[in-house]
Formats: sequence, structure tokens, C-alpha cells
Amino acid sequence: MAKRLGVYVCECGTNIADKVDIDKVLAAVSALKDVEVADRYKLLCSGDGQGYLKQSITENGLTHLVVAACSPKQHETTFMKVCEQAGLNPYLFQLVNIREQCAWVTPDGEEATDKAIRQIRAAISRVHYHTALEKKGMECNPDVLVIGGGIAGIKASQILAAPDRKVYLVEKTASLGGKTKRFSKLFVNMESGPGLIAGEIERLQKSKNIEVLTESEAEQILGFLGNFEVKVVSKAEDKEDKEQNFNVGAVVLATGFELFDAKGLPQYGYGTLDDVYTSLDFEEMNLADGPTQGKVLLKNGQPPKSAAIIHCVGRAEKGYCSKVCCLYSFKFDRMLQSQLPGVKIAHFYSDLCIPGKANQKFYEDTRESGVEFVRSAVTEIAGGDKGLTVKYETETGAKGDLAVDMVILLPAMETSSDARKFAEMLNIPQDDKGFLAEEHQLLSPVASAVEGVFVIGCARGPQSIAESIVQAEAAAGKILSALVPGRKLELEVKTSQILESFCTGCKTCIEVCPYGAITFDEDRRISVVNEVLCHGCGNCAAACPSGAARLKHFTFPQIYQELKEVLR
Amino acid sequence: MAPDDKGALFPAEGGVRERVIAFLQKAISQGCFDAVLMPAKAPGTDSFAYSLIGDGQLLKNAYPLPPVMSVQGAKAISSLTRSGKGKKKIAALIRPCELRATVELFKLGQVDLENIWLISIDCPGALPLAEWAKDPKKAEDAFAEILKGGPSESIRPICQICDKFSTTGAEDLHIGVPGKEASGILLIPNSPKGEAILDCLGIAAGEDISGWKDQVDKLTGARVEKKRQAQKELEAKSKGLDKLLDTFSKCINCHNCMRVCPICYCRQCFFESDNMQFSFEDYLKRAEAAGGLRLPPDTLLFHIGRMLHMSLSCVSCGACEDACPTAIPVAQVFSLVGNRNQEAFDYIPGRSRDEPPPLRVYQEEEFEEVEQSHAAVPAKQEARDG
Ligand SMILES: Cc1cc2nc3c(=O)[nH]c(=O)nc-3n(C[C@H](O)[C@H](O)[C@H](O)COP(=O)(O)OP(=O)(O)OC[C@H]3O[C@@H](n4cnc5c(N)ncnc54)[C@H](O)[C@@H]3O)c2cc1C
Ligand code: SF4
Ligand code: SF4
Ligand code: SF4
Ligand code: SF4
Ligand code: SF4
Ligand code: SF4
Repeated sequence: MAKRLGVYVCECGTNIADKVDIDKVLAAVSALKDVEVADRYKLLCSGDGQGYLKQSITENGLTHLVVAACSPKQHETTFMKVCEQAGLNPYLFQLVNIREQCAWVTPDGEEATDKAIRQIRAAISRVHYHTALEKKGMECNPDVLVIGGGIAGIKASQILAAPDRKVYLVEKTASLGGKTKRFSKLFVNMESGPGLIAGEIERLQKSKNIEVLTESEAEQILGFLGNFEVKVVSKAEDKEDKEQNFNVGAVVLATGFELFDAKGLPQYGYGTLDDVYTSLDFEEMNLADGPTQGKVLLKNGQPPKSAAIIHCVGRAEKGYCSKVCCLYSFKFDRMLQSQLPGVKIAHFYSDLCIPGKANQKFYEDTRESGVEFVRSAVTEIAGGDKGLTVKYETETGAKGDLAVDMVILLPAMETSSDARKFAEMLNIPQDDKGFLAEEHQLLSPVASAVEGVFVIGCARGPQSIAESIVQAEAAAGKILSALVPGRKLELEVKTSQILESFCTGCKTCIEVCPYGAITFDEDRRISVVNEVLCHGCGNCAAACPSGAARLKHFTFPQIYQELKEVLR
Repeated sequence: MAPDDKGALFPAEGGVRERVIAFLQKAISQGCFDAVLMPAKAPGTDSFAYSLIGDGQLLKNAYPLPPVMSVQGAKAISSLTRSGKGKKKIAALIRPCELRATVELFKLGQVDLENIWLISIDCPGALPLAEWAKDPKKAEDAFAEILKGGPSESIRPICQICDKFSTTGAEDLHIGVPGKEASGILLIPNSPKGEAILDCLGIAAGEDISGWKDQVDKLTGARVEKKRQAQKELEAKSKGLDKLLDTFSKCINCHNCMRVCPICYCRQCFFESDNMQFSFEDYLKRAEAAGGLRLPPDTLLFHIGRMLHMSLSCVSCGACEDACPTAIPVAQVFSLVGNRNQEAFDYIPGRSRDEPPPLRVYQEEEFEEVEQSHAAVPAKQEARDG
């Protein structure tokens, strides 16, 4: 079929018309090969303009369209829609930016006119080589992957699971519950942590459609909102590694926290002195199935008569307050007092952090029960025959010593060691403290910078259990409104293709693809593009040393034709 | 692993060739490797070709340093292993430039080195293929003199300015050819695989090799200077579009240079694909615009395109120049352009197996000076106009 090209130059009010001599442009391009119509219009993007364009395409039976107007960023999709309405494949259209790239930046009118002619000639030359491309859609996958089976991950899974939505809950260790399942008591109401977790797990088992994968890790996650391809490997100790591949529409990261390593601050004696514990050690000691069957005991088997609680261990090193340590330390006071009547407790702190409506009373009750609070900096924990000595210095510079039987350190909460792995795997940033960063601290606190990936609980910073649950609910709400079963996703049309007969299997493309869209076919020894994952960035086409990777709509002849006319 | 000042002396008699063969025979008989891939003379002819030799006796036809480079060794190794490694342990004895090309191909997934032991040898250069073809006997005799240390003006121009004719560091084992007075050849291991060969032979790398190194360093220095001079002259002759057109004016578009180049390993060369076929009208338009069009068209585009594709990995081996029927200094031009590009990325092709090719490395801050110079263009133009 013969080609019939239409070329339309937009005046853009006065924006283009004042600088570019449009009639001269039309005269210069109307005689070019296959140009059927060349015309000007006041405002092509207006309703009337679009109507005119549509009518003109149909009336003239155009097969290809060139519009010279503003930046494609502004109106490319507008004109592509017009094409569709007029029954013309929108990829048989080329937009020429003669406003931002010509009229606005070229001072001399004659030069601007000359430049506009070149640009339009290039587009006409290029559009000859365009081929019709078909839009592809796919149904979004409503399923969700939740990584981390702490309280945050459990709660998110419960809300998300539904008969038409499957949730995969992947937990690295052998059991669900995270840190919470090892806390015999929780502030401020002193409920049992294991009890709370047992109840939640029971609920989890009741809710439909949750697959819990323990002793498992997500090894690869590729894709975007509505379509992530996931590879999970289960590594149960006594079993063979089992790999599972499935698709989900969203990913929730709830990988929690770890404690700052108190050994990094040797003045506190952790790991070198007996009876110096971290908060998590102390929690273990209080568990009925812990090392001391729930009894608080010294190394020598005796109950302590006194204890010092040291706040903010590692706060200066990490550069932030972990927000929950003060509160759980008051929980520790009660745990000590209930087991060891008469025990003397002293807190060494520089600041106390007790925000929240229920917490002030919790603190005041603690003080009233006789617990001592010493505002000071602890300079050293010293060991000796008769127990431990806390050496401290108050704000006024006064130095003091306190002999105690037991020391409990409250180390800072830091990001889980897997945060980096997920940041790299999913292309999401970590904040300056290493936690997985939220999209916006104020406005979008549970979404990450990557659409479809959410971060909740201590994976995004120190939180209490209550806060972690609020975030789980928030992320679940966002996912439920975005991933409606049956919703269509539009896929990138301008994807890359690798030509088998050209590909040498050098794998360069695999290394430069930022979306993990290319895999290597070991049998054929060539690389293959997954069109569903390809975003059409063009990296592979640019880097392929053999010209095997090619981007649709940016083919060599198209670019060559365009450049040739620009340079002629 | 950079070679330190120790190596092993493998005692042997005769010329370089005999000594190397003695070493290979011993290594095969001790089972250090199963076969050797190296140049050998086809029986009853004057030609040299890469051969896979598994029988120690047949090594008598082998030429570790033949007078010419008839096939680039990297191509030989690639044809052997491209579709995967074999079970046999093979030692490939190749010239340093061939070795560097092999390393480049390794990084590009075109050779499998798992069961290959790469051995390089101090290279005296090679004669131009065309010279040798005129009278192979004479060329062989002339080369024998060069091997004995005679004057070397007759070796290929690219070899005369070769500053990487000895160990590159990426081989498993390098064979150093010390002065005449020495009683053998030096075996310098560069990797655990190389060390395993010495272990297998039962010799230790206990020899002080600084004398040999000094000799290599001295020649390298002289070559670097000579290359600088030669490249300066070539640049003056070929820089800019007009001069480049002149340089390639004799080109008959045969694409031999591409076909023999180890780095041009593409299954289908882009410049022979339908990407480079344009419509008749297109050619006509170009002819009109330029007042004439040479056919077949795009000769220079092929060379510039080829440079763009492979010059970062060009190892200056000279194979392309040897293959050019119209005596265009292809390798010298490619080597010049390649060296400049490589310098820009601080990249030396074949230097290390672990160094990623620059096209695979993304750096956020890179070539700012280039951006600057482009940003400055309008300003310059204004200055000119005003
Ligand atoms: C000593 C101490 C006492 C505390 N007491 C209280 C309290 O009384 N009340 C309160 O509200 N808060 C308390 N907190 C805070 C509380 O621990 C957190 O709010 C809560 O644990 C956050 O839950 P989470 O699910 O975000 O993280 P976690 O509880 O840390 O759970 C994360 C889960 O993810 C898993 N995981 C990690 N990496 C991977 C991976 N790569 N793949 C799969 N799974 C992975 C982990 O194994 C774990 O199961 C206390 C904190 C400390 C340190
Ligand atoms: S870069 Fe090109 S040649 Fe290399 S594997 Fe990818 S598509 Fe094939
Ligand atoms: S165009 Fe290439 S590099 Fe870019 S996303 Fe697609 S496959 Fe990956
Ligand atoms: S370029 Fe010449 S001298 Fe240099 S290694 Fe190759 S053959 Fe030898
Ligand atoms: S371009 Fe020439 S000199 Fe460079 S690697 Fe290829 S054949 Fe050798
Ligand atoms: S010139 Fe380019 S496309 Fe052709 S073989 Fe060489 S690298 Fe491949
Ligand atoms: S070998 Fe020589 S003549 Fe043939 S294409 Fe190359 S430069 Fe041209």
C-alpha cells in the first residue's frame, strides 16, 4: 500500500508561530516523498485541534502522521490517542519538538525556521520506517509476597489474604513470630509475647489462602506493580533445598531489626564480663523455655540483688534514638521486681523517650516503685571479685561508682543484615542509617520508591509492636486498593528483542539491564529478553557489541534515517 | 598475580624452538596436560597452522614461534571451546597478543578456559604474511636469524612498535627467553594452574629472573618510545574525516580485516546485515547531496563502525593488516584509535581476566570533561558569531 503522510505544524498560540515561519516550513516539506497533506493549526492539543486532526487523518486516508509541536513529555500521548481514535496505529506517528527545542531556544527567526525544517524532514524520513506496534496488556496479579514473619509480616498477611488473593509469607527462620515471640512480657500492659504471637498464628492459619514458607528466603524478585516474578528457596536443615517460582503483584518487606553489637563498645564489658547482658539476652532469661527456665539468675546460679540498666548503648554511634528501649526497660523493672522482691534497680540514662498517651503513667509508676534514675554517662563497667561496678559521670562532671550484681545493656536497634540484599534486588534505596527507605517520610511512609514494594515494621526503622501493626495495616490497605483482581496492566510496547542469529552469547546485555529482564539460554547459548519485564530503556541495544539486541521503535534504520536528515 | 622476580629454569639445549619443544614433550609425558594447541608445520608443506597435538613425538613439527601469524591464536582457542569446555586438559601456546585477545574473548563468553592452560612466550614479532607468501623458504630463513637475535627491521610494522611482547600477567605460565648464554628457558607461573605445571614437572620457581626482566623492560621502553613516535606520525596522516578517507581510499570493501580479527567474533557482522542495506532512492538522495556516491557505499562507515564496536578490545595483533589485500595499515590505525579509547577508560585489553570490559561498567561520574566541552559549544559559537 502506498504511504500517505500527514504533516501538521502547531502554532502553539504564539509560542511557535512568532519565531518560526510556518508557511515557509510547510512549503519546504509538502513536496517530500509521500507527503499527502501539510497544514498548520492554532492549537493542536485543544479539543478542537484534536478533532481537526482526527478528521484530517480519516479524510485524507493517512497512513503515517508527523506532528510538529511541543515536547513529547507534554503531548505525545495526546496525539497518540487521536491516532487511535482515527484508526491509525499510534506508533506510525512521530512528534517533533519545535517548541522547547527550537522556537524557545533559537534567537534568530530565520535560523529557527531552518532548524524546524530539518527537524521535521528528519521525522518524515524516520516515520517512513516506523512499523505498527501493538499494545499489550496483562492482568495484574493480586497475590502478595510478604518477607519476614515477625509481627508486622504476620499482620499484613492476615489482612491481605482472601479467597481471590494468595499471600506467600516467607520467613527465614524455622518459626513465625520474630522478636516478639521471645518477649515474655510486653509493655505497657504486660501481656505475654508468646501468647500474643500464638493467637496471631492461629488467626493466620484460619484465614484463607496464606502459604507460609519457613526456613526460606527470596532469592530473586523481578518486575513491577502487578507483576513480580519471585524465586524462593527453602533450606530446611534436614531436607534438600527446594526452589519455588511464583508471581505476585506486590511485595511487602518486613524483615525487622537486629541489635547493635555491644561488643563494639568494649567499655561496657559485654562478652568479656560475666553478668553483663543485652536486652535480648535478658528477654531470653525470662522465658519459661529459656536457658534458665524463666528465672533471672547470675552466672553463679544466684539471683541478683541489684541490677543496672544502661540506656542508649550505641545511640551515638548509630546517630538515632531507637524509640522503644526506654519503654521496654520499664517493663524489665517490673519483670525483675516480680521475681526478685526487694531488688535494687538503677537506670543510667542521658535522655528518656516516653511519648504516647499510655506511657507516662507506666514511667511514673516505675519511679514510684523505688527504681533509681541516674542521669549520667556510663564510662565503664568494671568487673571484680564482688560483682560489677558501673562507673559514671554526671552532667555536672561529678564521678560516681555503683556496685551491682547484674548489668543490662539497651543496645540500639539497627537494620537487619539483609536490608542491603533487598535494596539491591529491588532497586530500593536505603536511608543514611541503612534501613529500607520509605518513599516519603511524611507523605508516603510505608511505600518504597519502587511501585508495588512496601516496607513495614522495624525494617524501616525502630518501632514498637503497635506501630509495626499500624504500618502493616497501612500497607495492606494500599495494596488492596491498587491490586484489584482483574485489573489490567499496560505493558511497555517499545521493548527490546534479541536476534538469535546475531547473538554471540557474550552476556553484556545481561549485565547492563537494570530490570533483570534478560536471561541466558544455556542450550542455545544466547540471551533472551523477557518482554514482560523489559522497560524499553535501551541499555542492552546500546551495549550489545554484536547488534543483536534491538529496541522496537528505535531501530537502526529509524535512527539512521532521522540523523541523516538532521545532518544533511 | 603479578610475576615477581622468580621463575624456574627448564634446562634444555638448542634454539628457542627446540627448548620449548623439550619442555612440552616432558610436560605431556608427565601428564601435566593431555595435549598442546600450538602452531605447527603441516607435513610436506611450508604452511603453519594451529594444531592440537597430543603425541609428544608429533611435537617435532611444532613451531612455538612461527615466522608468521597465519591465524590469530585466540580464534583457534575459541573455535575449540566456544560451545563449552572439553574433558581434556589442553595447553595453548600462543603469542602475547594472541593471549590478550583470548582473555578478551574469555570476558565476552567466547572461550571456555576451564580446561585450558594458557601459555605465552616472549615474542620476537612476526613477518608480514604477504612477504612470507612470496617466498616461504626465504622468509623462514630470515626469521631464523631474527630468532637468533639478528636485526629485526623486517618484522611487521605493528610488531616493531609492540610494547606488550612479553608476559601480560593474565597467562597461566609465561615462557621467558633469556640471553643466549643461558642453559634453558624460564618458566614463570602466573596462576595456581601455572604453578601446577611446575609442580608436575618437579621443578621449583627458585631462579632469579631479574636479568631477563631487565632485558624485557629495556626493550619495552624502547618500543614504547618508538610506538609514540610512529603513532604521532600516523595520527598526522590519518586524523580527520578527509585524511581517514585517504587512508582507506584503497579499500575494496572485502571485510577481510573483520573476518580475521579475533575481536570481531560476531556471528553475523552488523555491516554485512540488512541493517546496512538502504533503498535505491536513499542512495540516490545521498548521491545528489554529495554530488556522487562511491559504490559499494559506506566503506568508511564500516571501518569507523568497526572501531566503535571493538577498538576497546583491540590487542594490536596485526591480523587485520596481514589480511588486507591492498596493504592498508589497518592494524596501525585500529591500534592507534584503540589505544586512545583504552587510555580514556584506563583499560588494557587482555591485562586481566577479572577486569570487566568498559562497556559493562557504569559509573555515575564519568567523562565530565566531555560533557563540559559539549556544554561549551553554544558559548563558543556565540563568540564566533559575535
Ligand atoms: C529487647 C526488646 C524488647 C522489646 N519489647 C517490646 C515490647 O514490649 N513492646 C513493643 O511494642 N515492642 C517491643 N520491642 C520492639 C519490637 O521488638 C518490634 O516492634 C517488633 O519486633 C517489630 O516487628 P517486625 O515484624 O517489624 O520485626 P522482627 O520482630 O524483627 O521480625 C522480623 C522477621 O523477619 C525475619 N526475616 C529477617 N530477614 C529475613 C529474610 N531475609 N527473609 C525472610 N525473613 C526474614 C526474621 O527472622 C523475623 O522473623 C522490643 C524490642 C527489643 C529489642
Ligand atoms: S550483548 Fe548482544 S551478543 Fe551479547 S549476549 Fe546480549 S544480545 Fe547477545
Ligand atoms: S531495553 Fe534491554 S536493558 Fe532495557 S529493560 Fe529492556 S531488556 Fe533490559
Ligand atoms: S604484535 Fe607482534 S610482537 Fe607483539 S606479541 Fe603480537 S606478534 Fe608478537
Ligand atoms: S583490529 Fe586488527 S590489530 Fe586489532 S585485534 Fe583486530 S585484528 Fe588485531
Ligand atoms: S565490525 Fe562490529 S559487527 Fe562486524 S564483526 Fe566486528 S564487532 Fe562484529
Ligand atoms: S581488508 Fe583491507 S581492503 Fe579489505 S575491507 Fe579491510 S581495509 Fe578494506
